[in-house]
Amino acid sequence: MAEKPLIQFRNVTKRFGDFTAIDNLTIDIFEREFFALLGPSGCGKTTMMRMLAGFETPTEGEIFLAGQDIVPVPPNQRAVNMMFQSYALFPHLSVWENIAFGLKREGMPKPEINARVEEMLRLTRLEKFARRRPHQISGGQRQRVALARSLAKAPKLLLLDEPLGALDRKLREETQFELMDIQEKTGTTFVIVTHDQEEAMTVASRVAVMDNGQVMQVATPADIYEAPNSVYVADFIGDVNLIEGKVSATGDGTFALHWRDGAEPLRVKSPTGFAEGQTAHLAIRPEKVTISAERPAEAANAVQGKVLDIAYLGNLSTYHVELPTGDIIKAQTANTRRISRRDYTWEDTVWLSWTATGGVLLAN
Amino acid sequence: MTLKTVTIVSAIALSTVAATAEEVRVYNWSDYIDEELLAKFEDETGIDLIYDVFDSNELLETKMLAGGSGYDVVVPTGSFLQRQIQAGVFMPLDKDKLSNFDNVWDVIQDRTARFDPENAYSINYMWGTTGIGANIGKVTEALGDDAPIDSLELVFNPANMEKLGECGVHFLDAPDEMMPAALTYLDLDPNSHDKDDLEKAAGVLEAVRPYIQKFHSSEYINALANGDICVAFGWSGDILQARDRAAEADNGVEIAYNAPSEGALMWFDQMAIPEDAPNPEAAHKFIDFILDAQNMAAASNYVYYANGNKASQEFLAEDVIGDPAIYPTPDALENTYIKGPYPQKVQRVVTRLWTRVKSGT
Amino acid sequence: MGRHRLAVLDGHWRRLVGELMRRFLLIAIPYIWLLALFLVPFVIVLKISLSDAAIARPPYFPQFDWAEGIRAFIAELDFENFLWLVEDDLYWKAYLSSLRIALTSTALTLIVGYPIAYGMARAPEEWRPTLMMLVILPFWTSFLIRVYAWKGILSNEGFLNQFLLWSGLASEPLQILNTTTAVYIGIVYTYLPFMILPIYAALERMDDSLIEAAEDLGCSRLSAFWLVTIPLSKGGIIAGCFLVFIPAMGEFVIPSLLGGSDTLMIGKVLWEEFFSNRDWPVASAVAVILLLILVVPIVLFQRNQQKEQESEE
Repeated sequence: MAEKPLIQFRNVTKRFGDFTAIDNLTIDIFEREFFALLGPSGCGKTTMMRMLAGFETPTEGEIFLAGQDIVPVPPNQRAVNMMFQSYALFPHLSVWENIAFGLKREGMPKPEINARVEEMLRLTRLEKFARRRPHQISGGQRQRVALARSLAKAPKLLLLDEPLGALDRKLREETQFELMDIQEKTGTTFVIVTHDQEEAMTVASRVAVMDNGQVMQVATPADIYEAPNSVYVADFIGDVNLIEGKVSATGDGTFALHWRDGAEPLRVKSPTGFAEGQTAHLAIRPEKVTISAERPAEAANAVQGKVLDIAYLGNLSTYHVELPTGDIIKAQTANTRRISRRDYTWEDTVWLSWTATGGVLLAN
Repeated sequence: MTLKTVTIVSAIALSTVAATAEEVRVYNWSDYIDEELLAKFEDETGIDLIYDVFDSNELLETKMLAGGSGYDVVVPTGSFLQRQIQAGVFMPLDKDKLSNFDNVWDVIQDRTARFDPENAYSINYMWGTTGIGANIGKVTEALGDDAPIDSLELVFNPANMEKLGECGVHFLDAPDEMMPAALTYLDLDPNSHDKDDLEKAAGVLEAVRPYIQKFHSSEYINALANGDICVAFGWSGDILQARDRAAEADNGVEIAYNAPSEGALMWFDQMAIPEDAPNPEAAHKFIDFILDAQNMAAASNYVYYANGNKASQEFLAEDVIGDPAIYPTPDALENTYIKGPYPQKVQRVVTRLWTRVKSGT
Repeated sequence: MGRHRLAVLDGHWRRLVGELMRRFLLIAIPYIWLLALFLVPFVIVLKISLSDAAIARPPYFPQFDWAEGIRAFIAELDFENFLWLVEDDLYWKAYLSSLRIALTSTALTLIVGYPIAYGMARAPEEWRPTLMMLVILPFWTSFLIRVYAWKGILSNEGFLNQFLLWSGLASEPLQILNTTTAVYIGIVYTYLPFMILPIYAALERMDDSLIEAAEDLGCSRLSAFWLVTIPLSKGGIIAGCFLVFIPAMGEFVIPSLLGGSDTLMIGKVLWEEFFSNRDWPVASAVAVILLLILVVPIVLFQRNQQKEQESEE
């Protein structure tokens, strides 16, 4: 990603009265990226998107699109289109007319409009529904009309506001792949706003995790998951065990985490350094924790506990294990066998173990 | 079948109620009685009096023709009464039930007999003339000291009206009054039913139409009294009321009423009992109460209209009986005419002409 | 055995008859409603319009007489009165004038009412009930009193002229009362809520993101309004226009209180036929034609709507 960024937020702040929605934010988005803004509701992700579309102006800072400051440009003159959460399809117009709406405003000649609309209908597999009104088609079809309409003008940047939120789970998963496919075919830069981490991880090439008007981490989905840079990101994305303690270096990039008086310190490898006695969290994903009846001989870390609860998820089972200290640690195993032959059950005493590289050590 | 029974039962129930609390319903012109008389009637007879008012003959007539109005005594004007009698709207009066019948004035009875032969269906309540109300100050200012305030010249000569238009002129919105006046101005028979005559009369009215501020049958009382307008062609009593209001307000407005010297229309408002009156007995009692000399005099003293009751004249106030605008001299009385009703076809022509006068269409 | 089967059959019958009755009632009630409140009065008026005026009570002929039978009765009816309406240009001039006044005042009411409805729909949610209340509030006073109040405002010595003279905008009082202008003011004022409420209902339902979507796709504020807001409030606009146009067409009170003697409207002509001429048959003929003038566009509109819907299916 050495090329020039398509979008640049430079020290952007947006305030609504006393409330700061975006707090001094700087971020770059590159051409042909599928970029996700992920965060809980109220984190400022929708405000960012609306500033890109032109429906909000930043209180401070600048936004560049292909090198041009777009803050003073009204929404109807931006090479940006948006797919609305509610789809915002015009109920008085047919599917065809909805898709042609933006093209007609451009003053495109009729034959070209026809060709472009047909192309969009083909792309979104809506040829058969061209004459229908929005209320005469299904939710999934409506979603595709909204997508076709926003893509029709071939924008430099397409904004998608919770595009799949209204669809049921199965349709949502199918549509995610369709979205990726279309993004690849058209080569358009997509910015998606979502609160659904799975969705963000699936579709996006890069994810920005946001909280309280600030970007916490921008990285590929894998890095966000495997190498979160903060307790917040680790906790927000997926399931995680967080163990707090004081760090002491043991050399060779390895640290000991003293987490309970009398308990054996935990051993963690970390690329970042820590001061002696600094408070830190060990974040370890449940699937990185191995469960066994006997203490494994080679394990870098092992603790003993009692099975408190078992969450059966079909393909996986999550074991909630209570340690003698009262802490609860989650461990996940793949259900490669039928459930009747499960090895552990409630109240069983088990050992949990993980390697020194299994978790990440995060400063507070 | 059951439904019928219920109706009969409720009808009986209703009539019993009506019998226990006797009431009489009277429908009269607005501002046309001393309200103390109404209380007096209830005190003397013990009958509940329901007194409603209207402000146009047309409204009353439509109620009468539709039937079932529920009124016991109504007060239409003579020319309307005549047609309503023909339509079978009224019941003959039972003179035996009217102990004060001998109080009536033969001079008036002779005239009303032309609408109501032998006065079988009605008895006069009030009568008056239609004429000219003038704001003396403003009219002399416009036309000079010799302004013809007692002549139709004042209101039908465009030369005069052009000057009066500035200070405001109202005409009655009643073709039955205005057409005969215009015919009189042309020296034609005011009762003419001839289409050509009526066309000519409409021509007179159209010629002065541009100077008329409004055609309305009651607004001129206030307008005249306030000095908003300087001339009104209207009913004698109304103009006299305006005169008194102006005098009371002491606003420098001096109003005079004159019956046109060319001949004035004389009209009569007649008390009659609808054929379907719920309580004809009480209706007779009410009419008899009004026929009482002192009661009738009280009404006239209050509304400034002359009445058809000879015996009441000794109780009339001096400014009523002594005012020739209310009780004209015998000579002046000779110079009046009575207008009969128009036949249906003529009525249509008159209404049409009146619409043309007012709207130009 | 035979008896048992009969009983079963009987039960079936009863259920069937019950079901039929229920369906019949369901369909019949709206029709009975229409029949009682619209058709029967209309037939009565129509019958009177085919009669002749007479000095009688009620003042027309023929009256239906059971003894003579319906045939003799119908033989007496004719279209004379309708011919009469054609012969005198007063009537069609009055219809045309009413039509013009009704159309103009409907357009004026729309021009005044739409921005108000739009403002209400865009107002913060907590204000809307108050605004709605303000629109409906005048109905708490008698219509007649409100029209009379306008006399006080518009007359030569009224508030408006006093204000104009005081502010120097006019050097002498404007003659507004007793002109057609006053009639327009009266109609627009009186029927404004009937225009605002349906448009407001349509606009309030509208999703704000539709406007943003239109802007996003290249519309200016104004073109978004024309291409999205107006079409989506079409239903409310049409309903509002009908609610204003229909009563304005037959309006009598407003022209007679605020209009001049030369304000020609069919309601006044009808009044004159009925009260001055006491010619109920001609008055009824005028009313029948008025009804036809009003019903025809409504029916055409309904048909058009139906077709549009069918083509969508």
